[in-house]
Amino acid sequence: MATPTASGLAPAPTELAILPTAASRRRSPPHAWRRSWRRQLLPLLLLLPALGLIGLMTGYPLGRLVATSFQNLGPIQLIGHKVVWNGLANYRTLFTSSNLGTSVLQTVVFVLACVGLTMALGTGVALLLRRVGSLLRVVVSVCMLLAWSMPTSAAAIVWTWLFESEWGVVNYMLTATGLHFANHNWFGSAISAYSIITANIVWGAIPFVALTMYSALTLVPRDLFEAAAVDGASPATTFRQVTLPIVRPIFVLLTVLSIIWDANVFNQVWYLTQGNAQLLNVIPLGVWQYIQAFSSQQYGLGAAVAVIMILLLLAVTGYYIRIMVRTGEVQRGAKA
Amino acid sequence: MRAATPTLMAGTRTSRYRSMTWLWRAVALVFAIVMVFPVYWMVNSAFEPNSQITSLTPSFFPVHLTLHNFVRAVDHTAGTTVVQAYFWDDARNSLIVVTSAVLVTLIFAFLAAAAISRFRLRGASAFLVLILVVQMVPGTAMVIPIFLFLNNLHLTDNYLGLILVYAASTLPFTIWALRGFVRGVPIELEEAAMVDGASRFGAFWRILFPLVLPGLISTGIFAFITSWNDFLMANILMQQNYHQTLPVWLFSFTTNTGTDYGGLMAGCTIMALPVVIFFLLVQRRLVSGLTAGAVKG
Repeated sequence: MATPTASGLAPAPTELAILPTAASRRRSPPHAWRRSWRRQLLPLLLLLPALGLIGLMTGYPLGRLVATSFQNLGPIQLIGHKVVWNGLANYRTLFTSSNLGTSVLQTVVFVLACVGLTMALGTGVALLLRRVGSLLRVVVSVCMLLAWSMPTSAAAIVWTWLFESEWGVVNYMLTATGLHFANHNWFGSAISAYSIITANIVWGAIPFVALTMYSALTLVPRDLFEAAAVDGASPATTFRQVTLPIVRPIFVLLTVLSIIWDANVFNQVWYLTQGNAQLLNVIPLGVWQYIQAFSSQQYGLGAAVAVIMILLLLAVTGYYIRIMVRTGEVQRGAKA
Repeated sequence: MRAATPTLMAGTRTSRYRSMTWLWRAVALVFAIVMVFPVYWMVNSAFEPNSQITSLTPSFFPVHLTLHNFVRAVDHTAGTTVVQAYFWDDARNSLIVVTSAVLVTLIFAFLAAAAISRFRLRGASAFLVLILVVQMVPGTAMVIPIFLFLNNLHLTDNYLGLILVYAASTLPFTIWALRGFVRGVPIELEEAAMVDGASRFGAFWRILFPLVLPGLISTGIFAFITSWNDFLMANILMQQNYHQTLPVWLFSFTTNTGTDYGGLMAGCTIMALPVVIFFLLVQRRLVSGLTAGAVKG
């Protein structure tokens, strides 16, 4: 077998015509078109299954979602396979009802609370992990991994058990400390239910943020901290001037990912309210469109809510994708 | 730190530093307990007899170990409700659907990753941007059109429908991650094999595939976990009890007469177990991969 370097430096042009080497890139006019076409054919064939599946299960449904949002689609039309266009009627219904505004506001507040708490606590834990010994660090990491690995559905169900009014352990412990929490119903008011949903989401999200931030922090060279200490910088200044600039890219990435995930939560809301999300009064968009479509069987109206949700998220994701493209992550991957 | 004499300053600093260290240790320990407690409580309740579960003073350690909750969860003859009858059906459905979806995803993603990183393909950047965009589409918003689409094709209550949904939803991330693994294998190895007479596909199969196998396994496990945990799509697409998957099955423990918390915690434990095991195997790779990519970028 030839050594990799030898073959890489001087490939035989005939055998390796499809490889992106200098020899194959040189254009020879008579066959240039045919050769470049052949060179594109094989990779295109390799790409085709993935493209096809994404087109079929994401592209087409996305188009269909937008189309459905302009239709009157109820159980009758669904069974009869009828298409009834009703123009902007669904959107008009949404914008004239007071529900949309409050639901959008509720979603924004809810997502901001979840993301803010997750990022603040996650970063705090990452910094904390640097200050404790290796044994305690392992213990904390293992506990976080166990929490992180819990399926959201199972975790949410366990939380309903923790906060159960009669036999729940949380009420027991609070009562034991002398507070009046015996038979307290945590899901009795919307604010209280939302707090528990938020706590559950943050609990599940902290491990990823904390461990990722921790491993980002280990990338900060130690001599920078020493230099800052020699210069007499306070811990806060060191964090602002040394740590933050280095971990900022990962912090931004985690924040954007968290926004997308938290705007998209369904399981936690659904399981924690035991399928009765109406008790929340104001329901986040992602759950609302689901109820609109499948409980009320108004698919057109639900689709319109989903379209509004996608447009709202587009602002955030567009920013993220622009950053990815601008920093060359995409181009670098393509060139490889 | 400012203009004090070094020795004096060092003395006060270390004692303050020491008490702070103890404070940080205490905070870390409390945090660890808060994080792990729900998981512990799930397992603790799962092994407790029902009399203990519905007692006003919960026991923090499983004193009277029993498997009765597990028996009730999986065996419908011992069950208190009819809906719980479907554990074995639903477990089989989950396994078939999720495993098939993971295989489809891995094959498609491997081919796509090879196409992107091994060929000078026009439009590869556009494809990667497309992948990013697709990954950002909120899953909850896709339930309505996917239900309508599969309903038209008579693919609801059908394995194939759910397999396609899961394969498509995990594909973007899998391609994105695998691309990194393929990039890590020097192309010269394949070139050498081809100089020695291997075909293009022979080189992929004999050289590239074994070298990215660890990457395939870890991305495959992530795809598995994502699909295994899905409730939303399975709940809508699989309407018969015996067609459902385990996350939907978990919902069946609450009936009009109340919730069987012992059985429910046993069910949660059963469902979480494969995920926890798989997860512990691969999470390190995820975190290091993500930070490497993001900090470099």
